[in-house]
Amino acid sequence: MDKAIKTLIRYEWVSFIRNRFQLLMVGVTFLFGVYAIYYGQTEINAQREVIKEVMELEQSEFGTYLASFKGEPETMQEEQNHDIASKPAFAWYRHGYHAILPPHDYAALAIGQRDLFRYYYRLTGMSLHYQLFENELANPVNLLAGNFDLSFVIVYLFPLLIIAFCYNLYSGEKENGTLPLLYIQSISISRIVIVRLLFYFTLITGLALLMSLIGLFTSGSVLKEENQLPALLWILGVVIYNAFWFSLLFLIVSYRRNSPFNAITAAGCWLFFLIVIPSVLNIVVTTRYPLSSTELAGLTRRTGLENENDEQETKEVILEFLAHKPELAGSDSLIDNNRLAKAYAAYTSLKDIESQHEVDRYNEQVRKRNILANRFHWVNPAVSMQDVFTHIVHTDLNTFLRFQDALGMFHEKITDFYFQKLFWDQRIHREDYSKLPAFHMEKSIDRYTVATGIIFQIALLTILFALAGLVTIKKKSLI
Amino acid sequence: MRNLLSIARKEIKIALRERLVVSLGIIILLLLGVALYGGYVSYRQQSRIITEKQEEKRTEWLGQGDKHPHIAAHYGTFVFKPKTILSVFDFGLDTYTGTSIYLEAHYQHEFMFRPAQDYSSMIRFGELSAALVLYVLLPLLIIFLAFSSYTKEKETGTLKLLLSQGASYASITWGKVLAYCILLIVILAPYIAGMFVLSSLSLSSAVVPDVSVRTVLLVLIYSLYIFIFLSLSVWVSLRSATGRNALLTLLACWIFLVILTPKAVANLSESFYTLPSMRAFKEAIQKDIREGIDGETPGSVRRARLEKEYLTRYDVDSLHQLPFNFEGVSMQAGEEYGNMVYDIHWDKLRNIFHRQNNMGSIASIFNPYLAIQHLSMALSATDLYTAIDFEDKVEAYRRELVRKMNNDMAQNSRYGEFYEYKATRELWDEIEDFSYITPSAFEILQHYKLEMISIVGWTTFVILLLHYSNRKSKPIHG
Repeated sequence: MDKAIKTLIRYEWVSFIRNRFQLLMVGVTFLFGVYAIYYGQTEINAQREVIKEVMELEQSEFGTYLASFKGEPETMQEEQNHDIASKPAFAWYRHGYHAILPPHDYAALAIGQRDLFRYYYRLTGMSLHYQLFENELANPVNLLAGNFDLSFVIVYLFPLLIIAFCYNLYSGEKENGTLPLLYIQSISISRIVIVRLLFYFTLITGLALLMSLIGLFTSGSVLKEENQLPALLWILGVVIYNAFWFSLLFLIVSYRRNSPFNAITAAGCWLFFLIVIPSVLNIVVTTRYPLSSTELAGLTRRTGLENENDEQETKEVILEFLAHKPELAGSDSLIDNNRLAKAYAAYTSLKDIESQHEVDRYNEQVRKRNILANRFHWVNPAVSMQDVFTHIVHTDLNTFLRFQDALGMFHEKITDFYFQKLFWDQRIHREDYSKLPAFHMEKSIDRYTVATGIIFQIALLTILFALAGLVTIKKKSLI
Repeated sequence: MRNLLSIARKEIKIALRERLVVSLGIIILLLLGVALYGGYVSYRQQSRIITEKQEEKRTEWLGQGDKHPHIAAHYGTFVFKPKTILSVFDFGLDTYTGTSIYLEAHYQHEFMFRPAQDYSSMIRFGELSAALVLYVLLPLLIIFLAFSSYTKEKETGTLKLLLSQGASYASITWGKVLAYCILLIVILAPYIAGMFVLSSLSLSSAVVPDVSVRTVLLVLIYSLYIFIFLSLSVWVSLRSATGRNALLTLLACWIFLVILTPKAVANLSESFYTLPSMRAFKEAIQKDIREGIDGETPGSVRRARLEKEYLTRYDVDSLHQLPFNFEGVSMQAGEEYGNMVYDIHWDKLRNIFHRQNNMGSIASIFNPYLAIQHLSMALSATDLYTAIDFEDKVEAYRRELVRKMNNDMAQNSRYGEFYEYKATRELWDEIEDFSYITPSAFEILQHYKLEMISIVGWTTFVILLLHYSNRKSKPIHG
């Protein structure tokens, strides 16, 4: 590094620490960051508590069932419990299993859609769609306000910090009358501007990284295998996103206009990226793909057989269902035992099979919306960055769509388990309780490649703006 | 007065020469247009679907064929949240409140399907509504327009000239404020006119009966809000040495008021008053129904008591001898017990919502942005209290429906029989279709007293502030 640049950096540092206003801004941003991390962690911990709570409910439920096997039932209550525990005709719609989408360790840093979607479900063998669409309790006013998490601080507030530090890098000198002094230095003005930008880039990105590290270290162990890649991508994303805003500021500064002009332009860009473009896109998506959940509402109805005392009708329903299930096919000889329970089980399953098309069609529409919105991501690094964050901490829309798919499969496992016994007239034994169906969700394979791809896009945009800035500043200095 | 007018005229001329400001103004106008258009399109789409579906469910209910009333009560029906015409202007909470509810016996379902779930996390950046343009973007335009109103005069030395010509600070300040008011009125006039036309056209709007009152109030509060921002901007400019300082101060205020505090307040309220999980909430209700609210009178005991009561009241030995089906009476009693339990838990939950929102209301005293946001939603009938009112009316409708089914069963069927009795279309017809009318604007505003105080208080405050600073400011020397 040559000596002039060293001097430049030293003086920049001195002027930075002497400027109380700037120090205050850095301090306030840091405090906001700490609060955001704390807030995110309390939110996610609350969700963990809920998960623990519902698991305890499940354990106590199944504990009662298991306990009922211990010897002859004495009270009526005990007898009832034993019936529910051992007779599939009761068990299939009484036994409730929890399917849980546990938060990723770093979900606290970018809550994303996690406050909006349900992350746990209690499923029984009853109609899946009757159970699937219930909401979690939430105050809509707070949902509208959104979350003050670390991703918010980085995506919204850091650009503002960058703007506040850099909008007058050139114009400030002009307005203070120190510009002629700079012109007589041995290094060119454009280099001075670049060095100062790099100085602030190091400073502000350093702050962002410090906060990210605090967040990463306090939210989970960085050494855990499933956390390594997310942590790395988070840090990479933060650096690139900050670089993007610096290159944009460089471009604005390179036009060498006055300070208010720069400030207005930069604030205007911020406004466009963070408020105008996404809000316009949202309304475009809404009108282009109108979605009305009213279509799905009908699926949640609890319906029953029209004439459950009509023997012929119940038999037909059971046979129709058995046609779908080869492994139960031979059980039609037993049709008259527990006929009503079987008919109901068959009826709800058939209903689910039928309504699955509607659900699929609806989800397809949601996916289309998502694709349309994603197509515009490259013009907007702010939304892209938010997307990267939610992707790497598993709080994006796709995670929840996949969770719903997994719920469908889990429900099938549950019904298979009980229907096997119900239709073959078997009882549930004590041993069966060690082989109960368990929820499982496939890991998504492309989440990190998607995130890397988006970061790459932001990086390209950064380079583009930086080059444009370079060209402008060189061109202007010739005049 | 003449001074004031000529200053206003000069200010308008200068503003129109600023290319950046003019182009921002045009962009905001365009956005307002896009927002209203988009709002209108989605209003049309949604209300069409909702009307269709509501009719479909009604037909289903009426045409469900002959069946036992209790099965019909379980089969139930659906209610969909109607879009209000004013949601074209302010979407409010529409994206975050559930849109449909299933009404059946024994269970209070919650509203399902929050539209925000059909989006990626981009939805959290907000949706472009006319209200958003007016309360988020317009203040920025005002800042850009007015930050240099005084500082430029100071920097170029024209302030001294003005003062030496006998213009007072008061006339300069109010002249500038007047100029910006005129500019904004001219910009917004077509939209305000449009809103009035819209509101008079939809006077027949079935859901919101007092659209025109609400429109007038909306125009009023937005005018005050804009005036507050305008006066503050001019005041900051008056107190700042350079345009750069004025701009930075104003931008910092904007960020603090519009971006930071709303989120922070909402999040803090969430941390102070935590909501139970849906599972725990439901489980607590079921437990109280199962074991009795005191934990000692389970359903079987309650039923036995009811049996005894009826047997003694009618002086008979067995339930078969009662002149009606006791099963229907018992079912209704169970329903009412469930409702009672539900009301207790629901009130607790509402109380948490209320406390959370109260923090927002208190914060709105310090932040006119929060005040206008809440008032705007309230007047557009897209706020929480209208949603709660809707939920209450739906629940009352559900209870009435179930009660009619149970009574019919008690009157027309015999004890111990179930499959033998079937009700017919006549009974289904007795249940009127659900239709919703919002509370009047004044009823809703009862919940927003602090917000109204805030808007009026801030208006008075900025007027006093300008008045005081005008008197205190000395002609500058040097």
